[in-house]
Amino acid sequence: MTDKRSDLKKIIMDTKTLPTLPGVIQKLNTLSDNDKSSVQEMAKIVSSDQVLSARILRLANSPSYGFYRVSTISNAMILLGVNVVKSLALSSSIFAIMEKDSVGLWEHSLGVGVAANLIARKLGLPECEEIATAGLLHDIGKVIIPLKCSEAEKTIQKLIYERQIFTMEAEREIIDTDHAEVGGWLSKSWFLPDKLSEPIAFHHDVAKSENHRIKTAVVHIADVLIKASGFGNSGDCFVPSIQKIAWDALKLNEQLLAELVDEVEDKLVEVKNFSLEMMSE
Amino acid sequence: MQKIPLMLAKAGMTIARDVFRGDSPIGIPICGKGTLLTDSLIARFDNMDVQSIYVEGHPVWEEGERSFDDILHELDGRFIKTLQEPLNAMLYDIYKSYLIKSMGGDSDRQAE
Ligand SMILES: [Fe+2]
Ligand SMILES: [Fe+2]
Repeated sequence: MTDKRSDLKKIIMDTKTLPTLPGVIQKLNTLSDNDKSSVQEMAKIVSSDQVLSARILRLANSPSYGFYRVSTISNAMILLGVNVVKSLALSSSIFAIMEKDSVGLWEHSLGVGVAANLIARKLGLPECEEIATAGLLHDIGKVIIPLKCSEAEKTIQKLIYERQIFTMEAEREIIDTDHAEVGGWLSKSWFLPDKLSEPIAFHHDVAKSENHRIKTAVVHIADVLIKASGFGNSGDCFVPSIQKIAWDALKLNEQLLAELVDEVEDKLVEVKNFSLEMMSE
Repeated sequence: MQKIPLMLAKAGMTIARDVFRGDSPIGIPICGKGTLLTDSLIARFDNMDVQSIYVEGHPVWEEGERSFDDILHELDGRFIKTLQEPLNAMLYDIYKSYLIKSMGGDSDRQAE
């Protein structure tokens, strides 16, 4: 690893320097995921932080999971699973630090969460909630990079604009890594399970995903669909290549893709409503 | 007819499809089509967790009035780097027909 990259990795893995990451998150990481008593304990810990609970519930009721009505944290743990709630706690804290002008990235992330959920359901895949969460979090690296390296971020933006290149290309040139890798480091430092960290780390290079290629492929395709639709703003405006390996892993075809476009576009109206509500507060 | 986020609903628009509670999209509608929207009706929908409604015509435009040509032009711009790849070309065609279909939505104003 080059110096620049390993320095950045150190900065990013140091979660203590994230300004508003609540202590609750650190506590959650000490509890194991599948232990029944831990689930109750976890619900208690999260519920004790009212702001955090409110944010988690709001995300749990976002169109990404819009198939349920979730009214309490323990309810959310049962319906969505402990891992999902844990990652919602993290992501809501991270997204809460985002500037108001990052609403474009918010909408892109919500859109990819929704699209990932729709794809997973359409294909009858297991663990749709985890896949939706991975979609929601896939570009979390893009939230962290400006927070940790604001100067580099300015140069990256300038490069994207001037040379009309993909965000990834600009990131690699300036910080010698990219938001997907950064997102992967981040999910490791939060002890997120592989089924979330792999889609985050490899959504631009599905072949690298070894244990959760299907989930990674769903998030990759969901990202492409949302970029194609032009919903939200994730940095650049270009539709990435559909990776053949993802297409094959999901056994997609033209008919399925056309149906997905219809369903995603229909659901995006609700996503828009959700983000408008968030912004009006 | 257009599907719009409830946040963008305004008094004076006309409901084009029955409205259902947000948490149970089946069952008895809470408001029938043809109803003229009022502020209090919008507030009621909000209380019932309605996220989106169908209204007549095409009253909501994103970022001002964009013509169909503008919208297609933007689609071309988004695909400019990857259109030569077969799978992306397929997605492009699907999106293009989707847009043509959804923009043709104005014709169902006369139909209703
Ligand atoms: Fe990305
Ligand atoms: Fe993305």
